[in-house]
Amino acid sequence: MKLNFNDTILDISSNGKIFTLTLDDKTIHAEVLHSDREAPPHGGNGKLDLLIDGQHLTAYVSSDNAKRWVTVNGQTCVLTKSSGARKGGHAPHAAGELTAPMPGQVRAVNISEGDTVTKGQTLLVLEAMKMEIRVQAPRDGVVKKLFVKQGQTVEREQILIEIVDTLES
Amino acid sequence: MNTFKKILIANRGEIAIRIMRACKELGIKTVAVYSDADKNALHVQHADEAIHLANSSPADSYLNTDKLIRAALDSNADAIHPGYGFLSENASFAREVVSAISSPQGKLTFIGPSADSIRLMGDKAESKIRMKQAGVPTVPGFEGLESENDFKQAAQEVGYPVLVKAAAGGGGKGMRVVNHENELSESIESARREALNAFGDERLLVEKYIPNAHHIEFQVFGDQHGNLLHLFERECSVQRRYQKIIEETPSPLLTPELREEMGQAAVKAAQAVGYYNAGTVEFIVDPDTLKFYFLEMNTRLQVEHPVTELTTGLDLVHWQIRVAAGERFPYSQEGLTQRGHAVECRIYAEDPANGFLPSTGNLLQFIEPRGPGIRVDSGFTSGDEVTHFYDPLLAKLIVHAENREIAIQRMQAALKEFIVHGVIANIDFLQAVLSHSDFRNGVVTTRWVETNFNWAPPSEPSMESLVAAALADLTIANRQSKIENRSGPDPYSPWKNPSGFRN
Repeated sequence: MKLNFNDTILDISSNGKIFTLTLDDKTIHAEVLHSDREAPPHGGNGKLDLLIDGQHLTAYVSSDNAKRWVTVNGQTCVLTKSSGARKGGHAPHAAGELTAPMPGQVRAVNISEGDTVTKGQTLLVLEAMKMEIRVQAPRDGVVKKLFVKQGQTVEREQILIEIVDTLES
Repeated sequence: MNTFKKILIANRGEIAIRIMRACKELGIKTVAVYSDADKNALHVQHADEAIHLANSSPADSYLNTDKLIRAALDSNADAIHPGYGFLSENASFAREVVSAISSPQGKLTFIGPSADSIRLMGDKAESKIRMKQAGVPTVPGFEGLESENDFKQAAQEVGYPVLVKAAAGGGGKGMRVVNHENELSESIESARREALNAFGDERLLVEKYIPNAHHIEFQVFGDQHGNLLHLFERECSVQRRYQKIIEETPSPLLTPELREEMGQAAVKAAQAVGYYNAGTVEFIVDPDTLKFYFLEMNTRLQVEHPVTELTTGLDLVHWQIRVAAGERFPYSQEGLTQRGHAVECRIYAEDPANGFLPSTGNLLQFIEPRGPGIRVDSGFTSGDEVTHFYDPLLAKLIVHAENREIAIQRMQAALKEFIVHGVIANIDFLQAVLSHSDFRNGVVTTRWVETNFNWAPPSEPSMESLVAAALADLTIANRQSKIENRSGPDPYSPWKNPSGFRN
């Protein structure tokens, strides 16, 4: 079977306890020596003792939808699993769309739709964990659309403002 | 000896739990307070009783003086421990606590210094005058500024770059470096807002910004009978966004002579405001001249107090409680020594690769390291939600060893065993700092992370992590999928709890 993480395809077959994985033209033999799973509701999260090409290592793996959090040898990475049928991730944002660099709350909105803004101008202020981030205009333009209100909670990457060169279409 | 029967902890997270542990050890009952977001938080579970304050906004909950005092009275607590942050350095809170009428058992005690000491050290104008009188060197700057023009003039006189910081500040909140006049008004505005939210006080001051300095602070401790000592230094120069991330003691910069001199200055500073209980006198030290300047005094327990505890053998929270109840602090300066070396790493829910911005989410796995010489002061457990409302500190990892080199090795090994999944943590970043030659050589200054340290996470996942993810999907994942496929419509995650982590 095939699994795809971060656009790397792993071709996997098993023979008893031994898994043979092919990725990037490399063939790897691996064995799960032991696994500890957390109790529900975290049943997909746990610890694996692995033998990878004869090397023993411990991996911690957690799952959140398509995301996999993996810690091996003290290093943590976040992988995205793709089903192949559709690609993970969002459509790229339009050039003039400003997105939230962090999750948090909109503390101040300094502009309205239709306002002319200049490069570097602070358009709104986000706050999370008592820390403030100023969302600034990346270039001169006009605010075409304001997607958020003061006090609103936003997720990381959520679209906040759309800026265009001119309002005429 | 008079002692407390029940203490309300006006805080949350790891520090609330750390204080509750001390209370338990001393046979004192504990009362937790919590906001909506913290309904299921670990600190609530650690307490003997818990009182709901308000919604999740800090201003309505952990900064709400009236509600906190009412909670203490309603629960028949006889003292309030403020922890750090929130209202811990708010003089009017301390005053209101001690003047609250709490029949039938008498007065409430504020576990900390007197309201006057807090006010004097919180008021930078007054504190600077006193420091100079006491012979403690200070950073050039101005206080008591009101209009934008005041700030402009002050900044000009001091000379850019200047530091605009909250007069009631601490922990780097409400602080901005201003390099040019055109950044000044916006920095003032945002520092003000941050200060108001973090401390309930929007006053700011301006002082000369001294880059390339070490941040070295001295723990002081005193009782209400006039015994006031220092408990040596903490080196806190590894900072990002003017907030500490790694602290250690002893400082690799200090000679025994300079330690002695700074320790005496710290005691003088504290004596100048009639200080008792735990406090920290912060200095900046120029590594070229070894000149030191009083920065500020934090009139509370410090986040990094554990490194002092491990090297002096004293439990600072025990003693905070005991001297607040009127006990004498039975030590003398000559009787105190530093034993071995201690290092603390702050485990933050933040993304070093994204400008250290906070990361929120559900902790899918949260596994703390254990072992000889390892201490973890933590506020979270697996399954907890890390929200955007409060400080991003997840836990403090502290190690103690016979010398600096072994302490660093111990920290590196312990960090490898600290597993945080579900929010991005700064663990890999901390590892990179610890293994850097500048850190090894003890020459890190407060702007080092921003100016000298380029770090990026690996751009490609390792082969091992890809294999581990795949085998996890095929083994631990699949067993549960048999149960959950019946109800789980999500094809991406056949083994996830159908109720979901995010409700």
